[in-house]
Amino acid sequence: MPYETRTECEMTETPRETRVLEAVVSLVDSLLYDFDVVDLLTELTERCAHLLDVEAAGLLLVDPLEQLRLLAATSEETHELELFQLQADQGPCVECYSSGQPVSVADLQAEADRWPRFVPAALQAGFASVHAVPLRAAGTVMGALGLFGARTGALSDADLLVGQTLAHVASVAILQEHPPTPFTVMPQLRSALTSRILVEQAKGFLRETLDVSVEQAFQLLRSYARANGEHLTDVARRLMTDRHSRPVLIAAISEFASATPS
Amino acid sequence: MAIHDQLLAAVGGRRGGQAADRLCDACVLLFDVDAAAISLVFDGASSGTLGSSGAPARTYDELQFTLGEGPCLDSVSLRTPVLVADLADPDEARWPIYGPALLSHEIRGVFAMPVLVAGEHIGALDLFRAQPGRLEENHLAGAIVAAELAGMPMLDVMNDDLLAAVNDPDSNAWTELHALSRAEVSQATGMLVAQLGVEPADALVRLRAYAYAVGRSSTDVARDILDRRLRLEAD
Repeated sequence: MPYETRTECEMTETPRETRVLEAVVSLVDSLLYDFDVVDLLTELTERCAHLLDVEAAGLLLVDPLEQLRLLAATSEETHELELFQLQADQGPCVECYSSGQPVSVADLQAEADRWPRFVPAALQAGFASVHAVPLRAAGTVMGALGLFGARTGALSDADLLVGQTLAHVASVAILQEHPPTPFTVMPQLRSALTSRILVEQAKGFLRETLDVSVEQAFQLLRSYARANGEHLTDVARRLMTDRHSRPVLIAAISEFASATPS
Repeated sequence: MAIHDQLLAAVGGRRGGQAADRLCDACVLLFDVDAAAISLVFDGASSGTLGSSGAPARTYDELQFTLGEGPCLDSVSLRTPVLVADLADPDEARWPIYGPALLSHEIRGVFAMPVLVAGEHIGALDLFRAQPGRLEENHLAGAIVAAELAGMPMLDVMNDDLLAAVNDPDSNAWTELHALSRAEVSQATGMLVAQLGVEPADALVRLRAYAYAVGRSSTDVARDILDRRLRLEAD
């Protein structure tokens, strides 16, 4: 059966790219002020539904007992909420959560065997297709953004990217619930600036120790950090502030430099 | 007037311990605290109170060096602000000796902001308050500005010979702080660490002292060091 793939929306007034950017800017803007996490994520699901031309969207978050729980959804209607709740046990969000990969089901009807309780309920509620993209942070999956369409059809790559982008914004919102204040921002700014000072010092230090230019020193520091899975700033900090480990580190960087043709 | 303008105005052209004293006075005036002190924890050996808003502040501050625990020491070792809303809180157990000592001086709130020189955490601005409770957000933010500014008097006192030389009423600590945080100064500081076998803060002190001695800017001296046109002698 040929699925119709939803691509650009038919509306002519504003290109989707612009509307996506507007949504991201508006959501990220809210992150920089005082915000309520449920309120903001409800807005996010609404924008998501609008941009991707789906009927409903819901955010499910894993609890400490590894159960998916509904955090926000486009609709507060009981039957739709129930559908999202049901997804704690089976459906695209659970699969997406366990695999960490997006799930896209173009035609729900064909998946009755896969999810025996979820599919009838979703069809009953008037949905024909479902999709889910993961919420990730710190290398783990912390939930999924579920998308419900009234028509059959797969998500295009572009749709998937939009969904994933909004899921990333949601992840940041959840982890950032306590909004920055002038006091919490300033130590972070100081810390970032201190990092820069340490990196500059480390460039000078390597210039002197290994007789390279400051530019070469920076490249060396950067590629050494990457090759060792370390942060550039952490290598610089150890070099500049830890005099005990300094000789070993210099030897390692020097060896790395001679093994790597510049 | 913005906080940093008020703090700068309070410091005026003063340097070293005098500048630190003035900065502490301004903190008491601006941030709703009863006492303020700036102390240095450098290289273990040369720890102590550099400036204060008065004799009581100095007492509260010096106590931590006598007792070996306190806000400045924590702030430096943890590289973060240390905020204690109420020392009398039964759950507040971080300083088993220093805490009760301050309570006996009727101090309930203690707030410390780290002071940095050349990327090193070398001291802290300690604020003391008789009333328990958190500091207001904008006062905390202002205290960080004061701690940033305190880097200058710290640099001054790290080189005794320099104190007289820099006693220029027109000098602006803020401008100099900005100049000293330029990339080439940090790079040259790194070179000096390697050349002289000293720590970054000491290296920056040496660079700055040389610049003052020959009447040139720190950035010019830094460029000469980077281009190997200048080499400072080890002590």
